[in-house]
Amino acid sequence: MSRVVDIIIDGENYRAEENSLLIDLLIQEGIKVPYFCYHETLGADGNCRMCMVGIEGQKRPQIACDTLVKEGMVVNTKSDTIREVRKNILELELINHPVDCPTCDQAGECSLQDFYMEYGLHNSKITIAQKVKHDKAIDLGANVMLDQERCVLCARCTRFTAEITKTHELGIVGRGDDAKVTTMPGRTLENDYAMNVVDLCPVGALTSKDFRFAQRVWFLESSEGICHGCAKGCNIFIDHNKLKYKDDTIYRFRPRRNDAVNGFFICDAGRLSYKELQEMRQESATLHGREISQEAAKEAFHNLLLLHQNSIAVVIDANLYTEEIESIINFANTIDAKIYAPLDIYKDASFADEMLKSSMRAANYKTIENLGITTSTPQNATLIINCNHPQEFRADATINFFTHRRETQALTLPIAAYTESSGSLTNEDNITQYSKQAVFKNSPLPTISDYLQGLGYE
Amino acid sequence: MSFSFSQENLEKIAALKKRYPSPKALCLPCLWLVQYQEGYISLDAIDAISEQTTIPPMEVYRVATFYTMFHLEKREKLQVDVCKTLSCKLCGADDILQHLESKDVTINHVECLGSCGTAPVMQINDKNYENLTIEKVESILEELL
Amino acid sequence: MRECKIVSKKFHLPNSHTLSVARKNGGYEALEKLKEYSPTQIVAIIKASGLRGKGGGGASAGEKWELMPQNSEKPSFLVVNCDESEPGTFKDRQIISYDPHLLIEGIIITCYAIKAKQAYIYIRGEYKEYQDILQGAIDEAYGAGLLNACDITIHRGAGAYICGEKSALLESLEGKRGHPRLKPKQKEPEWYFGNPTLVNNVETIASVPFIVQNGAEAYRAFGTQKSPGTLLFAMSGHINTPGVYEAEFGTNMLEYIEQYGGGVKNGKKLKAVIPGGVSCGVLTAKECEGLTLDYEALRAVGSTLGTGGMIVMDADTSMPEVLKNILEFYHEESCGQCTPCREGSGWSDKIMKRVLDGEGSKEDLEKLFELADTMNGKTICVFAPSISIVLLSFLTKFRKEFEALVL
Repeated sequence: MSRVVDIIIDGENYRAEENSLLIDLLIQEGIKVPYFCYHETLGADGNCRMCMVGIEGQKRPQIACDTLVKEGMVVNTKSDTIREVRKNILELELINHPVDCPTCDQAGECSLQDFYMEYGLHNSKITIAQKVKHDKAIDLGANVMLDQERCVLCARCTRFTAEITKTHELGIVGRGDDAKVTTMPGRTLENDYAMNVVDLCPVGALTSKDFRFAQRVWFLESSEGICHGCAKGCNIFIDHNKLKYKDDTIYRFRPRRNDAVNGFFICDAGRLSYKELQEMRQESATLHGREISQEAAKEAFHNLLLLHQNSIAVVIDANLYTEEIESIINFANTIDAKIYAPLDIYKDASFADEMLKSSMRAANYKTIENLGITTSTPQNATLIINCNHPQEFRADATINFFTHRRETQALTLPIAAYTESSGSLTNEDNITQYSKQAVFKNSPLPTISDYLQGLGYE
Repeated sequence: MSFSFSQENLEKIAALKKRYPSPKALCLPCLWLVQYQEGYISLDAIDAISEQTTIPPMEVYRVATFYTMFHLEKREKLQVDVCKTLSCKLCGADDILQHLESKDVTINHVECLGSCGTAPVMQINDKNYENLTIEKVESILEELL
Repeated sequence: MRECKIVSKKFHLPNSHTLSVARKNGGYEALEKLKEYSPTQIVAIIKASGLRGKGGGGASAGEKWELMPQNSEKPSFLVVNCDESEPGTFKDRQIISYDPHLLIEGIIITCYAIKAKQAYIYIRGEYKEYQDILQGAIDEAYGAGLLNACDITIHRGAGAYICGEKSALLESLEGKRGHPRLKPKQKEPEWYFGNPTLVNNVETIASVPFIVQNGAEAYRAFGTQKSPGTLLFAMSGHINTPGVYEAEFGTNMLEYIEQYGGGVKNGKKLKAVIPGGVSCGVLTAKECEGLTLDYEALRAVGSTLGTGGMIVMDADTSMPEVLKNILEFYHEESCGQCTPCREGSGWSDKIMKRVLDGEGSKEDLEKLFELADTMNGKTICVFAPSISIVLLSFLTKFRKEFEALVL
């Protein structure tokens, strides 16, 4: 451990670890500093030159991403000189930029736009009509589109494929103002984390094919959630929006930083899992494949429970929130049912990797284990109550609580998806996280515990 | 279209490997060997260099695009590199360039060739032709074309 | 002006590149001194001689050598910078073609002093003809058993001016693009694949045998107090007898031009001199009067000595055209890593083109001044600051010529 030292930034006292990066302190303390190339995971590259600060005793402005914190250091981030330097470098970033914000998906979350509002607002002195021309709308593969003209060559995306995924698909080729990001001719972006480059890109050069032209970002509401794609429990932003006369809809998942779990990234499979969340939903109660009224469903539920007394098994999906699992256990105990949560079906070695993807594709299986729930398949029960478990079980009768439609004749009751309810999850590393309800449907579906409460079970 | 190093070049590579602390250092030497062997650097050759140097193909490709003397496409005509930098310009490089326009060669305007004291200069197939005059250019091209 | 030949002593001899001619004329005699001196004593002699790096920067060679560890677990390396690409500079080329054995001798001594077993000569790709001569000399040296203690490997560049910058050179030598590295936070050696490495220019290393053989004082007998010794100064451009002529630091510039260069071509008047490669600020004829060729004198007039390769321009030269030519060079050669350089080099070139095409405005000239400021001291290496210096020196010293174009 390095020692902690005192430093002064804009006249205020701060304490930081000696020899730590100054830019990290600025970011951590919320002191505004513009930058394109620096990234807390990718580290300093020093190419954009935007994070200039004044250091007392140094003749010239220094980049904060390559400045180490020293005892007694006096830093200035707001002087006229620093503002002027940042403004001038920003102007250079913009000279070969197409300034096509009205048709750019990044508009609203673009560092160039943000820094222009902060440092630019100048009458452009860009008098050269001849901007360097590059290709626009290149399909790189893996749902990523590239616009070379918008690129500021910060090399975040290329460093990501070189240093994080180690797949080396992207690179900056050429040199000088002719340099550009590309894949090798005829080759594509192909890795399970490729779409993170879209988030890493500080401008509109890399955009998601999936999200392209779908929504203006300023219309979106970002809610915090936990991905249910596997047992890793990656933290995400659920970006959704309820348009007039329409229902609350999710447009994308984005990674949300959590250094203890997923760092800055998520896998593409998790990122795109929002789609199936919204497709083929079980929206009303059905029996023999036909829609039935809530009253009829309630009656059928009670009748089945009575008919199969003492021979009931409840099967729990290992993706349900812990609170849900607990209330299902209570219900099962009340009706004297046996409880199961078979885990084998979630195991998928082919999905797993060294980074974030877990071979257990169940967000809360750890809770199942921690609670000591039987993980074998139910035996000798004549009625099975399937609480969204993905497997199909044989019994004389079945009651299903399903988020999504499946081929079944049994009594099936619709329930809320995880984005439509709140609760806790324990990931494979035994870290418990809380996920808040993000989506509020026009006609909200109940959770299983809501349902059970309505039926008179607490 | 595939590429493999000639036996002679493989031997050169093996000998060079002993002289560097990492095979990665052989990136430029290998690119040169490829270019002399094939006349240009194909994507297949880049894969072969990647194997020799343990550098990912994309990184080799990036290197090949950084240095102006590497060529990623076949070049058909005689390549004439004419220096257009200051000392040559002051000594009449523009006249030489203009004269070459009418010839059946590919003219490459290159930066300083380090022949400032013997300007103007052009380079063809690694050889410098210095203190150029129109007459001199004529006789050089006559010999080469 | 006295004649002093430390590095160019054998240049005029027939077949001077061969081992036999070199040996007949004192070549490899300095190696005898290695029996007498320890590695640290050699470093001390180099430091005492005041030898300064001859690649353009002029930093103390001895201080650089002292940074090399004498008891390193890791192997140490010597890298000789023969990427001579600064326009107006063609001196190292003379050494490798006319006295390659002097360089080899210098390498052997330097490797002994810094305990390196491997030396690389990074040579620019365009020097293939001279590389072949140098390789021939190395082969001869191997044959004569001179390279038992260290290996010498020529590493050919492939067309990138920036690789003359030592950290970009090392990146290139590691098989990468020639991007300059972020500067270290303290004084330390350079690093090649994580191993301590000394990078010196060809002429610097070629000066070593003389110093080791004759002692630091013999070297200091030439030049000035702060710029001791000699340099292979060179002249090109509008000059009668362009070429490389060794002279001691402190030599009068105009006398040098007159004596060795035979004066300005066609009897014209002198207009300006770029003193040491295009990256040094241009000097007017008036500024050259009484000016001496040493680091301090050039700094005093707001320029730099650089590599000592002077580009001479006569009274009829259009300075806007010269500036445009230099800006094109920078535009072509920027590595593209840092924003101010990548964009600034291209933008200033484009503005200057417009000015020359008669479509420029006064604002364009102001913009060039502003760009000069933005490119100065805000990038990883000194490439962009060089553009700044060039822009400012041309625009201020020959302002009227530029203003005439935007009226």
